[in-house]
Amino acid sequence: MENLVDQGTRPDCAVIALIGVTREYAGHGGVVRALDQASFSIVAGEWVAITGPSGSGKSTLVNLIGCLDRPTQGELVIDGVSTSSMSPAELDRFRADKIGFIFQQFHLIPYLSALENVMLAQYFHSMTDAKEARSSLERVGLGHRAEHLPSELSGGEQQRVCIARALINNPPILLADEPTGNLDAANQKIVADLLRGLHATGHTIVMVTHDPEMAALAQRRIALSHGKVFCHPVNGPVVSLER
Amino acid sequence: MSGLSMSSILRRSLIHRRTRSFSALIALTVSAAVATALLTLYADLDSKLHREFRSFGANVVVTAPDQAHGLPPDTLKKIGLVTSPDARIAEFGYAVATTDRGTPVVVAGTDFGAIRELNSWWQVDTWPSSTQTDVALLGQRAAQFVTNEHSVQLDFAGHPLTLRGVGKLRTGGDEDSRIYLPLAAFSAWTGTQASVIEIQIPGGASEVEASITRLREALPGMKVEPVRQLVEGESRIVDKTHALMYGAVLLIALTVAVSVLATLSASVLERRRDFALMKALGGTQSSLMAMFLFEALILALGGVVAGYVLGSAAAWTIGKINFHTASWPRIGVLPLVLLLNLVIATLAALLPVRVLRSLEPAALLKGE
Repeated sequence: MENLVDQGTRPDCAVIALIGVTREYAGHGGVVRALDQASFSIVAGEWVAITGPSGSGKSTLVNLIGCLDRPTQGELVIDGVSTSSMSPAELDRFRADKIGFIFQQFHLIPYLSALENVMLAQYFHSMTDAKEARSSLERVGLGHRAEHLPSELSGGEQQRVCIARALINNPPILLADEPTGNLDAANQKIVADLLRGLHATGHTIVMVTHDPEMAALAQRRIALSHGKVFCHPVNGPVVSLER
Repeated sequence: MSGLSMSSILRRSLIHRRTRSFSALIALTVSAAVATALLTLYADLDSKLHREFRSFGANVVVTAPDQAHGLPPDTLKKIGLVTSPDARIAEFGYAVATTDRGTPVVVAGTDFGAIRELNSWWQVDTWPSSTQTDVALLGQRAAQFVTNEHSVQLDFAGHPLTLRGVGKLRTGGDEDSRIYLPLAAFSAWTGTQASVIEIQIPGGASEVEASITRLREALPGMKVEPVRQLVEGESRIVDKTHALMYGAVLLIALTVAVSVLATLSASVLERRRDFALMKALGGTQSSLMAMFLFEALILALGGVVAGYVLGSAAAWTIGKINFHTASWPRIGVLPLVLLLNLVIATLAALLPVRVLRSLEPAALLKGE
């Protein structure tokens, strides 16, 4: 397996390590292999962009790294723990502890205020604490908008609430799925600056994106095509790890 | 804002999706109302049908072995002792007299008050008073045999009698050819006593059979017979109506349950992204199921409260219109209605959640 792990990262200090991970689904026409023998690792504090066309397996990879699903084959290690053999309940607990999600469509609950939306992540993690949630909103510059409903916030503000919600439980990994896909240029810059700041303070960021500008912010790009993984440094040549 | 609880999330969710919540509540109210109404009517069916059957008249007839001597004088008292207090009893004495036109006619002596209660289905324009002794009730056909309906001239074995014709009777049966007069006047005129007692025993076939057994024991030598067609017909109709009602309850409950299931399931499925989000935030399968289930159960309880009131009102109205007596609310049906609604709500909440579990949260959150 050594040779399948991406150059430039060391599996022993990886916060995320995929070793021959395959995910198959039963379809009408037979078994569909959404992810095929994927192997790479991401070290703590690294910012990685995952790119690829629709149907390339990005959602499956997000599901797996986000602990929303388990591999059919192979091993997925997150923060030193293999998730492959976890029960669904253990996986739920592990996800709440380790992963902070940032979504393209924000996915704020429309009837809860910005503050309550942040507290929702606390609710499913442990106990709600309004003071902590407020300081998380202040961290993204939205302390003054805490009591507003999502419908009263701009797209950029909603995405910042989503980031505050992802940060509230201090997860070691931030999983951002097209974080600027629904934003205009001005808000895209605000969110990019926020992610840059979070990376600077040591957060590991795994970001799925179609946007070359956003991908360029990452230290490394992992490209997906037809369920297969290709890894390379942002400005370097694409290297297939599958052979 | 000090905290966020499941109850506050649910309350806000229900208010925010008020149209969907309201339609789910309406569906559950309808299911509870239909179940309440049908179960209330079902529970009342026996008594209502038996009450209806009472209007068809006697279901047991006691006859003297010797028509000429009539029944012993204490027969009525003995019957009263072995039948229930709400049994309806009327005595009859029969003779054949001749009208002033020379036509033979059956005359029957009876108690007008008693036959009015016993045969409430008879169509009578004016009932004679039970205290008057010289009055007559003329069957529709018998009225044609006399010269003057208001002054009825009769003759029995050379004994003339004049009666005031008070009212006319129409049944479509033998009664139309008879002339009824008070039993006391009949006995004084013909010299014979009552020879037949007609009894209307309340209840179903088994109660009637039991009463007949008691009557035969109390009245040895008398002929005690059921009006077989009526008793068997009543039993058959009650059984068939029971089966029909039971089938209707099941069919309607099933139809309503499917409709409610569809409405509630749609409500849960349309929040698949909320489900995926909560899952991504660390919500466990059981905690999410509990949340959706709790919401459905709140709606189910609301539906039971409103449905019980509406269903009881519907049963009351249906009873009043069809049976002329209201069906009062029965608290005994409430546990069944509650159980039905809770089962529907539980299935409606848990089945879609099982479907959601098989979907990819990441794909749902991307809107795929």
